[in-house]
Parts: sequence; C-alpha cells; structure tokens
Amino acid sequence: MNQNSTTLSLYIGLLGLVTLAFGLADILVWAGASPGFSVGILEIAGDDFFRWAWGGAVMVFGGLFMLGGVKSAGSLEQFGKAVLGAVMVWIIAGTDIFARLCESIPAGEEASEFFNSVAGFVGGFAPPYSPAILLLPFTLVILYFLVTGRFDETRE
Amino acid sequence: MALPVQERWDLVDAIARKTVTTGTHRQTLGDVLGDLTVRPLTGISVAVAVLYAFWSIFSSFAGALVTDGFMVKAFDNYWLPWLQEVWPDPASIHYFLFVGDPLAENCFEAFGMLTSGLFVSIGVVLPAVLIFYLMMTVLEDSGYLPRLAVLMDTVFHRIGLHGYAIVPAILGLGCNVPAVTATRVLETRKQRFIMMSLLAIFIPCGAQIGVMLEVIPETVGWVMLYLVIGFGIFGFVLDRIIPGSNPEILIDVPPYHWPLWDNVAKKLMNRTKSFLKDAVPFVLFGVLIVNVLYLAGIIGALADLLEPLFVIWFGVPKETVGPLVAAFLRKDLAVAQLSAIAMTPYQMITSVVLVSIYFPCVATFVVMLREGWKELAAAVAVLVATVFIYGGLIHAVGILMGVA
Repeated sequence: MNQNSTTLSLYIGLLGLVTLAFGLADILVWAGASPGFSVGILEIAGDDFFRWAWGGAVMVFGGLFMLGGVKSAGSLEQFGKAVLGAVMVWIIAGTDIFARLCESIPAGEEASEFFNSVAGFVGGFAPPYSPAILLLPFTLVILYFLVTGRFDETRE
Repeated sequence: MALPVQERWDLVDAIARKTVTTGTHRQTLGDVLGDLTVRPLTGISVAVAVLYAFWSIFSSFAGALVTDGFMVKAFDNYWLPWLQEVWPDPASIHYFLFVGDPLAENCFEAFGMLTSGLFVSIGVVLPAVLIFYLMMTVLEDSGYLPRLAVLMDTVFHRIGLHGYAIVPAILGLGCNVPAVTATRVLETRKQRFIMMSLLAIFIPCGAQIGVMLEVIPETVGWVMLYLVIGFGIFGFVLDRIIPGSNPEILIDVPPYHWPLWDNVAKKLMNRTKSFLKDAVPFVLFGVLIVNVLYLAGIIGALADLLEPLFVIWFGVPKETVGPLVAAFLRKDLAVAQLSAIAMTPYQMITSVVLVSIYFPCVATFVVMLREGWKELAAAVAVLVATVFIYGGLIHAVGILMGVA
C-alpha cells in the first residue's frame, strides 16, 4: 500500500465517521433526544420524519459505506464503496439545496408579487445549514480522486 | 440453394471474424458501482437513498415551487375572484356547478368545475405528474430501474410477482392509467390480475399524493405506511388463493450510462400528453357530476344509507360518504373534499386510506375494462372485500392504540 493510498484511507475513514455521527444525530434529534440542535452554522431541526429520520438513515448508510471502503481504499472495489458513501451525502445535500432553491424563487404567500426579490432569493441560501450541506465540500476530495483516476493503485 | 455444412461453418467464421472483437475486460468503477447497487445489503441502502431523492425533489418542485409558490396565488388571488365577479347570478344552478360556493375564499373550497376542477388538474396535479415522469424516465434511462427490479425480485416473489412488477408499481405512483397497461410486462394472467388489483387498491396516484401533500401533509406518512402494509398482506393472500403459475424470469441489467436527453424529453412529452388527454377531462367532469349528484340529493341519501357502516365499522363521520362517491371520479378531488370535513387526525388517516383503497378512479376503471371484463369484475370483488376488511382493521388498530 503506498503513501497516497494510506492518506486516502485515513481521510475516507474520518469522513465516514463524521457522516455516520451526523446521520445518527439527525435521527436522534427527530426521535426527541433534543428539541432541535444548533451550533454556529450547523442546524438539525429534527421536525420532520421524512427529512431527519429517513434522510438521517441515508447519511448513516453513507457513513457505513465510507467506513467499509477504508481498508485498501486505493483498490477499485473499495474505492467504489467510498464513492457510494459520498453519493449518499450528495443526495441529501443536493436535495436540501434544491429545496432551498424551490422555496426562494417565489415571493411567499403574503407578498403580492409572484417572484422573490434578488435579496430575498440570495437570503434563502443563508446559514444555518444541515450537516449534509456542511459535509459536501469535504466529499469533493473523493470526487477529485474519481475524476483524476488517482484512486486505482492497480493501474500504477 | 443450401450450403454444405462445412461451407456454412466457414461462412459463420468469416462473419464472426468481421463482426466480433475480443480482448481482456478491465473492470471499471462503473462496473463496481453497478455491482454494489444490485447486492442486497448495499443495494437496498442505495434504493432507500434514491427513493428519498425522488420524493424530496417531487415535493420541493411540485409542492413548494409550482403549487404553493405560484399556482395557489394565481388561482386564489386572481382566477377565483375574477370568476366570482363576472359569472352571473350566484344563486343559480349553473353558478353552483361551474364556480361553486360563492363565499369560497380559495379554489380548494369552492368545488366548482372551473375553480376546484381546474385548480386541482392544472395547479396541483400537472406539476406533480410532470416532475414524477421526469425522474421516472431518468431512472429508467440511466439503467437504475432494472437494478431495482433485480433487488425487488425476492420481495415480489412473496406475492407471486417478479422484479419487473416494480415498473407498474412506480408508474402507478404517477398515474394508474399507464400503470394498468404496464402490467403486460408480467408473464401470466394470475400475475397481471394480482398486480392490477394491488394497483387499483393500494397505490395512490401522483394526483392524490400531490393533493395529500398540499392539504394533509402531516398524515401522508401514516397513510403511505398503511398502504404499504396492505399491499404486502393482500398480495400474499391473493397469491395463495388465485390459481395460476408464477414463472421465473431472467432480467437483463444494462451498464450505467447518462440518459439521452432527447429520449428523456420525448418520453416525458408522451407521458404528460397521455395524462392530459386521459385524466384531466375526468377531473373537470368529475367535479361537474359530483355537483349534480349533490344537487339531486343522491349523495345525501347515500350518506344516510351508509351511515352505520361508516360511523360504526370504519369509525369516520358520515359526511365522508360524499367524498367517497367523488373518489370514483377522481381520488385527488375526494382528498381535497375530505380536508374540509371536521375530523380527528386518526379519522383523517382512516378516511384518506379508505379513499385510496376504494374504487379506482373512472379513468383507471376504463383501462382495466380494456384488459378484460372478467378481470375487472374479479378485481372489483377483491376490492369490496378489501375495503370492508382493511377499513375495519384500521379502525380496530386505532381503538387498540386509543386514538380512534
């Protein structure tokens, strides 16, 4: 196993642990362990079964996939698991961002206009963010390895 | 002129040399991902994530953006007040039929053909169906749907079907009309009958889901849970009591690939066109016929007749009879009507489940009839028994839980 592969394994392992922890936190907050959790720009509202229980389960699967791909992360098979784990985070983060986009375009029920102002639209993307959105930039490392093909040690 | 055997083989060799290329296959990341998405342990997790994405995008686009964001405002603030102002004689029959309640403040409560009928079909159902079919087509053309069929094969075998039953099942979540036609992917009459019955009873269409998300968002999860449980139980029972065979099939799983956007656009256009042609007229005329039935006193008489069954057996108010009659014409309309009746949350869940498992809407009914009147008659018999048994069962569960 080369240095590159060890670093990748370590990174995926850490990312997997954080993803798993965030997924469990989503579910626990929904289940009533906390009335809602907010630290800095991170927020877990936990007010909706679909988003926090089901979405939390998807994050848990993502974390488990990444942890499952830690051993020899440089091999194709193992890296595939890490990619699948990252895809899970992309799904949750992507749908969260899409939901914000859909809510920000219209002006809202009370307003007489149909479309939101530019300031209102941009404001729709302001913090706090869900754990998946915060994890999104960190999963881009996997995308980098995927696009550059640097993951496959058997090709070297 | 027939060739001798040796020359025939020589010809085969010559064609093969020109057309077949050989080499060593090197596994790609796409192969690994394709493999991981059909293995039960990893594949089911991926399916859970894909379904999450599916419904999240569905509710954000159809619910938050199009319906709540624009359509509600356009219909309630502009269309309804304009109609109420220009339509003559609010006390007349034609006003009641076309515009509905003259004091209504929104199109959901007006119940006229040009108010509720138009709002439900264009403002609520059309965006829901559009985004549903777009995502369905992307899943189909990317190669994920056959993998889902492989994954679901074992589950569907328990109810006498095979993995490709996932196609009509998912299509049914958009509109039951094309879903009934899609049951032809199944091999035997027994399988087609089981799938058709389960579709008609336990799979709510996109229109109904769209309206449920709009008017009773907090109870949708429970309604869907009851429907999934019922789908499993009644599928299992039907498989045991209906004679016929359940043959095994081989499923061809293509590699993952990016969908061709031309194909996606064509499929989306065809499916949406078919929905507009088959279902929208039923929504508009559905409202008209229900209003006529109300005016003629038929719904009132039915409510009195069926009151003991509804109040004692199902545990719901007798006012729900009207929406149940409307459900035969359009289930989405029926849910909208139910939302206006005063009920406890559990009664609301029960009555929406009843609307779902009650008669398929008339458009589905017509397509089922095209598949064969014997199948339709048998499906209706199954349906009546299911509504009676399952409706009572849900009430019993509510009593046991202390919420009914």
